[in-house]
Amino acid sequence: MSTVPETYTIPVGPLHVALEEPMYFRIDVHGETVTHVDINAGHVHRGIEYLTTKRTMLQNVVLTERICSLCSNSHPETFAMAAEQIAGIAIPERAAMLRVVAAEVKRIASNLFNVALLAHLVGYETLFMHVMQVREIAQDIKETVFGNRMDLGAICIGGVRYDLDEETTGFLVAALDRLVPEIEAIVATYRTNGSILGRTRDVGVLTREQGLACGVVGPVARASGIAYDVRAVAPYAAYDRLPLEVHVLTDGDVWSRAMIRLAEALTAIDLIRACLRDLPDGPTRLAETPDIPPGRAIAKSEAPRGELIYYLKTNDNPQPERVKWRVPTFMNWDALRFMLADAKIADIAIIVNSIDPCVSCTER
Amino acid sequence: MPTELVVLVSVLVFPGGLFAFALGLALKGVDRRVAARLQGRVGPPLLQPAFDLVKLGFKRTMVPDTAVPGVFLAAPLIGVVAMALAVALVPIAGVYMPDPRLGNLLVLLYLLSVPGIALMIAGSASGSPFGAVGFSREMALMLAYEATIVLVVAAVGLRTGHAEGQVVTFSLAEIVRHQQEHGAYLLDPVMWPAVAAFLFFYPANLGIVPFDIPEAETEILEGPLLEYSGPALALFKVMSALKTVVVLSLGIALFCPVAPDGIAGFAVWLAMMLGLLVVGISAVRVSIGRMRIDQAFSFFLKWPLLLAAASLTVVVVV
Repeated sequence: MSTVPETYTIPVGPLHVALEEPMYFRIDVHGETVTHVDINAGHVHRGIEYLTTKRTMLQNVVLTERICSLCSNSHPETFAMAAEQIAGIAIPERAAMLRVVAAEVKRIASNLFNVALLAHLVGYETLFMHVMQVREIAQDIKETVFGNRMDLGAICIGGVRYDLDEETTGFLVAALDRLVPEIEAIVATYRTNGSILGRTRDVGVLTREQGLACGVVGPVARASGIAYDVRAVAPYAAYDRLPLEVHVLTDGDVWSRAMIRLAEALTAIDLIRACLRDLPDGPTRLAETPDIPPGRAIAKSEAPRGELIYYLKTNDNPQPERVKWRVPTFMNWDALRFMLADAKIADIAIIVNSIDPCVSCTER
Repeated sequence: MPTELVVLVSVLVFPGGLFAFALGLALKGVDRRVAARLQGRVGPPLLQPAFDLVKLGFKRTMVPDTAVPGVFLAAPLIGVVAMALAVALVPIAGVYMPDPRLGNLLVLLYLLSVPGIALMIAGSASGSPFGAVGFSREMALMLAYEATIVLVVAAVGLRTGHAEGQVVTFSLAEIVRHQQEHGAYLLDPVMWPAVAAFLFFYPANLGIVPFDIPEAETEILEGPLLEYSGPALALFKVMSALKTVVVLSLGIALFCPVAPDGIAGFAVWLAMMLGLLVVGISAVRVSIGRMRIDQAFSFFLKWPLLLAAASLTVVVVV
C-alpha cells in the first residue's frame, strides 16, 4: 500500500503504557528498525529544588523524601549526609547500621520492581505477577518495620527516626528468610527461560567504552563491566564494615542489567543480615536536633539506580541557600542513544526500562 | 422449512449469529478467568466481556482527523460479517451440518483471513504510526501462519479424499462424516504432526501471547486498535469473540468430530470447545512471553510448517 511510507516517526511518550513515568522519545524508524532517537524531558518538573530553599533544614528531610517514591530513602539520606558534613557530626554506630537496613530494604523492592516490569514488557504477564508477589514481601517489611509501603520516613539529620526492637527484628529476619529462596528461584528463571533470554540477550548493548564516555552509574555501569559502586569506592554509613559484594557483568545487554539487579537484591539481604547480627546498642540519633552552620558540602550515596550526589550550601538562615542533586538516571539516559541505535521497535520499551529510569527524580 | 430459511437461520441464529456471539463472549470470559487463576489472580466476572461491550456501546466512536472515515468505520463491520458467516460453515458433529451452498473448507480459509485483513485496513486507515507498524506486523505474521494452515487443511483434505476414493475433498461435511465412521484423526498417528501444527496456528490467528505481536500493548499500544473507541471497538471485540468460536470449532471438526447425536452431542462439543480453550489458549498465553516479529516469522517457517509438511508428505506417499 502506498499510504504506508517506508520511514516514519513514532512518538513514544510522554504518556505510553510501557513507561511508568512521563518521558518523550521521538523515534524515527525504517520498517521495524530505529534510525534516530530524540529524548525530550521536562514533563514532571515541579520546582522542588527551588522549594528546598524555602524550607528549613528539618522540613527538607521530609521534602526530599517526596521527590520520587522508588528512591525515597536515598534522597533524604544523602541530604542528611551533606548537612552532617557541614556541621561536623558523626552519627551513632547504631544509626549508621539502621541507615543501611533502610537503604537495602528499599533496594530489594526497587530492583524487584524493575525486573518484574521487564517481564511485563516482554509480554510474560505470569512472571510479572510472580515477581510482584515476591516484591510484596519486601513491601510487608517496609510497612511493618517503618509503617509505610513507600516513604519510610527513616532518616533524620544526625541519625534515624526508627528503631528495631525484638519483635520487628524477628519479623525482618523471618521475611528475609522467605525472600532468599524466592529471589533465587527468580534468578534461575531469568537465567533459563527462553522467552526472557530471547528478548533480552544482546538487546540494547552498551559497551564498556560507551558506558565510560556517558559516565553511566549503578547497575547500568556494572552490567557493562564498570565496577563502580559508591558503597565500595566511597563507603558511607556502615558500608566499610559490612561484607559488600560488587557484582559486575561484561555483556552490557538488557539481560545483564536485570541479572545485576537480582544479584544486588540478594546482596542487600546479606547486608541487612550482617547489620542485624552486629547491631550495637546505643542511641539511634543525636540527643538534640543539630543547628547546621554556614558552609558547603557534597555527599554521595548509592541509590538503587546508582550514584546520587547532593550539593548543599547553607548560610545563617534556617533555610539552605542552595540544594542541588544529580540523580543516576540523568547520567544513564544519555546512554540510551547508544542502546537504542539500530534497535527494533519491539525492543524500545525493554531497553528504556533497562536503565530503570526515574523521571521524577531527574526532572524534580 | 424452505432451504433458504434454513441457511438464513444457520447464519443468524444457530450456530452463527446470536448463538456464536453468546458462546464467543462466554469463552472469552472463561479464558480471562482461567488465565487469572493460573497467574494467581482472582480474575474478572465471567460476564466481563459482555459488560465491556455494553460499556463501549454507550460511548462515542471517535474518528481521528488523520483517518479515512469510511474505511475506518467499515473495517470492523467487514470483520464481524466474515466471522458470522464463517461460524455457519463449520459443522458440529451430530448436531449441525452446513448447507453445501454456503461454501466449503476453502471458503472458510478465505473468511478466516478476513479479520487479519480488517485489522490491517483499520491500522492503515486510522492514520496512526502505531497502526502502520501493526499493519506491517499483521501482514508478516499472516504470511507466516497461513502457509501452515493451508498445508494442514491439505493434509486433512487429501487423507479424507483418499479414503473416500477421490483425490481430495474440501467439504467439511464429508471430512466430519468420514471421521464419525472411521474414527477421529486425533487418533491417527499420521495426522499427529498436523494436529501439533494446528495448535501453533491458534495463538497466531487469535493474536494472543506469544504471537500478539501486531497488537503488542507494551510495544505499539494495541497497534491497529489504538484509535478505535466506542461501538467500533466493540465490533472488533465481537469479531475476536466470533473468531475464537470459529477456530476452536474448526479444530474439532478437522481432528475430533466424534460425538453422539442430539443434545448429548452438543454437550460433548461444548466440553471439547472449553477443553481446547483452556489447553490451547489460556494455558499457552500465561506460560510464555511475546516473540519479536522476526523471531515469530522464522519460528513459523520452521516448526509448524515442518510438522504440517511432514503430515502432508506421509498422506501423499502412503
